[in-house]
Formats: sequence, C-alpha cells, structure tokens
Amino acid sequence: MKPNARELWWALAAIVVITVIYLLAARQLQGVPAASGLFGHGIGVLGFVLMLATETLYSLRKRSRLARWGRPASWLRFHIFTGLVGPYMVLLHSSWKFNGLAGLVMLITVVVVISGFIGRYIYTAVPRNADGLMLEAADVQVEIAAAEADLRQALAGQPAAVQALAAQLAAPSPATAGPAMLVLGRPLLRWRQRQQWRSALRQLDPTARARARQMEALVARRQALQRQAASLASARRLLGVWHSVHIPLGMALFTAAFIHIIAAIYFATLLH
Amino acid sequence: MKSRRLGCLTATGLLAVALTLLLVLGVFVLRGGRMWSPGPLHAQASGVELGGVLSHAETGGDCAACHTAPWNVTTMAERCLDCHIAVADDLADPATLHGALQSEGADMDCRQCHSEHRGAAANLTSADMDSFPHDRVGYSLAGHSLRADGSPFTCSDCHTESLARFAVVTCEDCHRTLDAAYMQAHVADFGTACLDCHDGIDSYSQANFDHSQVFPLTGRHLETTCAGCHANARTSADLQATPTNCVACHVEDDAHDGQFGQDCAACHNTDDWQDATFDHSQTAFPLTGRHEGVDCVKCHVDRVFQGTPTDCVACHVEDDAHDGQFGQDCAACHNTDDWQDATFDHSQTAFPLTGRHEGVDCVECHVDRVFQGTPTDCVACHVEPAFHLAAFGATACSDCHTTSAWQPARFDWPHTFPLDHGESGVVTCQICHPTQVQDYTCYGCHEHQPNEIAEKHLDEGISDFQDCVSCHPTGLEDEAEGRGGNDE
Repeated sequence: MKPNARELWWALAAIVVITVIYLLAARQLQGVPAASGLFGHGIGVLGFVLMLATETLYSLRKRSRLARWGRPASWLRFHIFTGLVGPYMVLLHSSWKFNGLAGLVMLITVVVVISGFIGRYIYTAVPRNADGLMLEAADVQVEIAAAEADLRQALAGQPAAVQALAAQLAAPSPATAGPAMLVLGRPLLRWRQRQQWRSALRQLDPTARARARQMEALVARRQALQRQAASLASARRLLGVWHSVHIPLGMALFTAAFIHIIAAIYFATLLH
Repeated sequence: MKSRRLGCLTATGLLAVALTLLLVLGVFVLRGGRMWSPGPLHAQASGVELGGVLSHAETGGDCAACHTAPWNVTTMAERCLDCHIAVADDLADPATLHGALQSEGADMDCRQCHSEHRGAAANLTSADMDSFPHDRVGYSLAGHSLRADGSPFTCSDCHTESLARFAVVTCEDCHRTLDAAYMQAHVADFGTACLDCHDGIDSYSQANFDHSQVFPLTGRHLETTCAGCHANARTSADLQATPTNCVACHVEDDAHDGQFGQDCAACHNTDDWQDATFDHSQTAFPLTGRHEGVDCVKCHVDRVFQGTPTDCVACHVEDDAHDGQFGQDCAACHNTDDWQDATFDHSQTAFPLTGRHEGVDCVECHVDRVFQGTPTDCVACHVEPAFHLAAFGATACSDCHTTSAWQPARFDWPHTFPLDHGESGVVTCQICHPTQVQDYTCYGCHEHQPNEIAEKHLDEGISDFQDCVSCHPTGLEDEAEGRGGNDE
C-alpha cells in the first residue's frame, strides 16, 4: 500500500464493517432500516457528525494559529477518511429513498464526495514537503538539481550510449503536453515516458542495456520532478479552481442538510 | 499561497448558502410540503371517500391535513379520527380490534401500526412485533419471538390472509416441527382449538407454562401425560378447574379404602406409593423402641388401620412369660426397647423388697416364674437354722432379724438370765449360746474356766455344778449360798 493512500484503505475497511453491521440490522429488522428508526437515525446522525468533522477540523488546523496539534498531512488523511465514511453512513440512513429535500441532500453529498476525489488527485500533483506544505518553484528546481547531480554521478564511467539515453529522456516538451495535461494526464505521461525508456533500451547492446537499467530509478525521479516543475503553476491554478467549486458545494450541502435536520425534528418529533 | 483565514466562509461559499436557501424556499412555495415528505403517500383508493379524499395521496402537499403543529392542541391521531369515523366508533367498543387495543389504556396512537410515506402501494398497516400490545387482543406474543427454525416471527406467520384473521393451523404446523410426537398426542387429547386454552402468557407449553405455580409436577407425576390429569379438558377454564386433591385421580389406587381420608400426601410422596412416611407419633399410639421397626401389617393385619387395639396383649399375648399373672398392662413393667429390661415396682406389692431382698433374683422367690401366691413369710424361703432348735416356735423371723443381715438380731422378750448381769452390756447370743439357743455356757466370758470352777466347787463339796444357772439364776456368785455342798 502506498503511504499516501493509507486513509483510503482505512476508509474502505470502515465501510466494510459498517456494511456488515447494516446488513445485520436489516436482517434483525426484516427489511431496510427506516431512516426514522433508531438504527437509521443513529447512523444518519453519526454520519453527519463525521461529515461536519470533515468540513471543519482540517480547515481549522490549516488556518488556526492556536490549534497546532498534529501535522496538516495527518489531518488531511482524517479529512479524507471522514469525508468517505460519513457520506456512506448518510447514504445508509437514506433507506434508499431520495425524495424531496432529503434526496437533494444526498445528491449534493455524492457530488461533494466526487469533487473531493478530484481535489485529491489535483492535490497530489503539487509537490510538497514531509509536512504536506506546498513547495515553491525554486524548491522544486533545487530538488531537480540534486536529482541530476545524483544521475550524473551514476552515469560517470557509463557507456556513451547510456549517457545519451539519459540525456534524451528529460522533461516532456510543452509541445507534447499542455499544462492541463501535465496535471490531469499524469498517468498517461508516466506511461508514455516508460514506453520511451523501454524502446530506447531495446536499441542498446545487452551490456549497455543492463547498465542503463541500473539508472532507471534515477532517470524516473528526474522525470517526475521535471514534470512537477513544468506543471506546478497549472496544478496550483487547478487547485484554486477546484477550491472555488468544492467549497460552495460543501456549503450548499451543509445548508441543505441543516434544513433537512430541522425539518425532520419538526415533522417527526415536534408534531403530534 | 495566501491562506484563506475565513476557510469555507468564502464569498462563493456564502453565495452557495444563499442560493440553497432560495432554492428550498422556492420549491416550498411552488410545491408545498412535498419537499419535506420522506416518501410518497399511500395512493390506493379504498372506494370510500373520507375527509374529501379517496386516498392519502390525494391530500397532496397539504401536510397539515394530518400533521398538527406543536402549539396545536389537536393531536395527529385525532386528525386521523376526524376522517376515519368508523375507527373512532370502534375505539369505544372493546369487542372491536381498535377498541381492544385501547381497552387497557390510551397510550397507543394510530402511527404505532399505521405508518405513511412508504410508497403509493405500500401497506398502511405494519405493526412492530416488539411494541405491538398483542396481549390486548387476547393473545400475548411473549412466548413467540422465534419460529421453529429459530428465525424471528413475523405477523404473516400467523396472519396468513390478513392481520385481522388468525390462521389457527399455524400453531399445529409450527409445533409439529418442534415436537411431532408431543403435538400428535396433544391434539388427540385436547383438540386443535389452541386459543381456547392458550393465550400466549398462560401457555401450557413446557417452554412457558410454569406448572409449579399451580401444581408442582414431581416424581412420577412428571411421567404422566397432560391428559392423565386433564382428561377431556377443552378450554383454559377446564384446565384450571382440574382438582388438585390426590383422590381426584388416585381414588382407585387407595389401598386403605378411604380409612385415612383423602389427604394421601400426608403420608405418600409422588415418587412411590410404597415410600410412605406415616407419622405414627400423631396417633394415639406413638411408635417407640422396637415398635419403630415393625412392619405396618404386623399390627394392622390385613391393612386394617382403623380400630387397631392399643393394649399390649392384643399383639403380645403369646409373648407373655407370666401367663397373665400380671394382667394385661405389660407397660406397667416393660418398655418397648426390650422385654428383659423390665422395671417391676415391688414396693407396690404386699412384700416390698428391702435390704438384701433387693438384690435377689426374682426366681429365687418366684420359683418357676410363679408370681402369684408367693408366700411372704420368711420360712417359706429361709429354713430355720439349727442354732434356733425350734426354740422360737411361731415367732416370726422379722421379730428379731432385719432384711439387711441375719446378724445382729435383736431379742425383745424376757430372758431368764440377765443379759447384762456382768454389767458388760448386751452381748451377742453366741457368747452364751455358742452352738444352739437351748444350750448355754458360762465359760465364754469372765474368769470362768472349767478347771478352776470345778476345783472351786469341789472344794465346797459341790459336785453337781454343771448347770450353773440352777444355783446362780442371775449369774451372781453369792446367790448360791446354802445350796448343795458337803458342808450343808
């Protein structure tokens, strides 16, 4: 498992556990747990609390000068975990009925979750330090220089064919990938560069090929840094755009959710 | 990157909040309360118009048609009854389903069984097995939480056609799955009208009915069948009317022919008739000693228990070693531990035992164990000693002797010779009468010695001096002056 995907696996495990509990409750109740029942209400309230935590805690940690507990990266993982588990519990609370305002809340919830996935994808395109703080362009250039120095040291004494190959596989030219492609099409670019590397390897004699393979990790690292440097501005711009969409969606979601809660309390509890 | 201190409270965020509120408000204005509805209302028309509509769905988005505001004194249930007038009438009649449900308190409302917003074709009646007060309609579900296969019970298990109809065959089918043999016998004994006896709580099944609360089943009662006691019972009242006294079932088993009344349990237990524990101490004849180990029929011949005589000879006439000499009151001397351990009170007879008589074995006096007519005079047992030589004739032994010892004996009659002539006090007879009372000697004491007396008397010319008292009637020497002798 990739360390930066740990929260996704935790969320998946929690979703599996919650699903098992839900199925047991459904078996006990001999049907889909009603949204207004004890179990349905309970899972809805808990899910909403998790969603509320998703909306507030990570944001507070990033902006508050007083609340400095935990690393922002850890809070982001918590944000992603609760942002997946909370909506799933709210989905179960719906008892698979999506009428009226409750249905609208569920719809916006799904949209916000999908938006969150997109945001996370853009987020990972921006180079960060160990604390999760974004690197500036100069910082990226320093890392590129360090990577090239490592590569040069490794290439010293290597056959000319290998050195030529390393020089050939530098950053993709803007002509082959636009700024948006550099951010959103990262897997495609990675695949294309890997294909180029393999194609170039096949043209080498077996001895040079074996030596070139030893350089593969260093070349790939330099390529990744070069991609990030090339896409840094675009990634930041996209992240800003995403924020400007995701935040209003979240606000709309919580506005609708609070109205739904007030209406549920009014109609199901206060009315007699 | 510049940090947004307000976080999500951005201009676009706040705009989204405003737009959402406007959207909700707009929909509410245009479509009424539908947006709050958790689901479509029931839409199947009953064919009867109630409250101006044929189905709940026709009320549209008018939430207030059913829902009342918190500040309104009218309840939602009352709104139901405003339209469902027939149900309102039922509530006043305990014989109806709705009336029965409200008969033990008005804590139920319509929503407990009738829920809405579950779809146009959904069933409006859906009682919760756990909360529905099924006991109010005559049958508790306390003992029916699980089916025979262990899965949870549902309403349709018993109400196969509709909730208002009970399929009695359900009982038999399910319970045959649990115990086919038992149900076979149970149906044969009591029929198939289960609800006539069973009400869910007062169930007579093994799982729920606690027979010990009315008639504890112990011993061999555990082996009997229900019909063994409840033969021909067809209703709960029949079962409850089953008599609990022993003779109701065991009158033919009574080996005593009613001699001990009807309370068999006073002596018998349910394990075995023979394992009886009659408390004989409560009778006029408590069993003690060796009587405790005697088999009942030894005394109660032919198991006749009433009128059994309590006098000893009734049973022990053949054991009487005295051949009736002491009458029939054996207990006057004997106890129930041992015949030999008798304690005859001889002091109550004409011959109280005193002194050495107390230690004498009975047969020493009562030869051949003949107790009556035993002579009480001493010589009957004590042959007069040769020492007396019949000198005392008819004088009773006790005139001189006591039962403590033959000697010393007293002598209270005139003695021809002063007993204390020598001022030596009373001496024993043998001092003067060493061999028999008819003979005497004066040589047993004093200074009298035969040679010295003979010489002294011969010097005086007295040759006939053998009979001392003929010359010395009181034993004094001088009183013989002038009697006999040569010098006379």
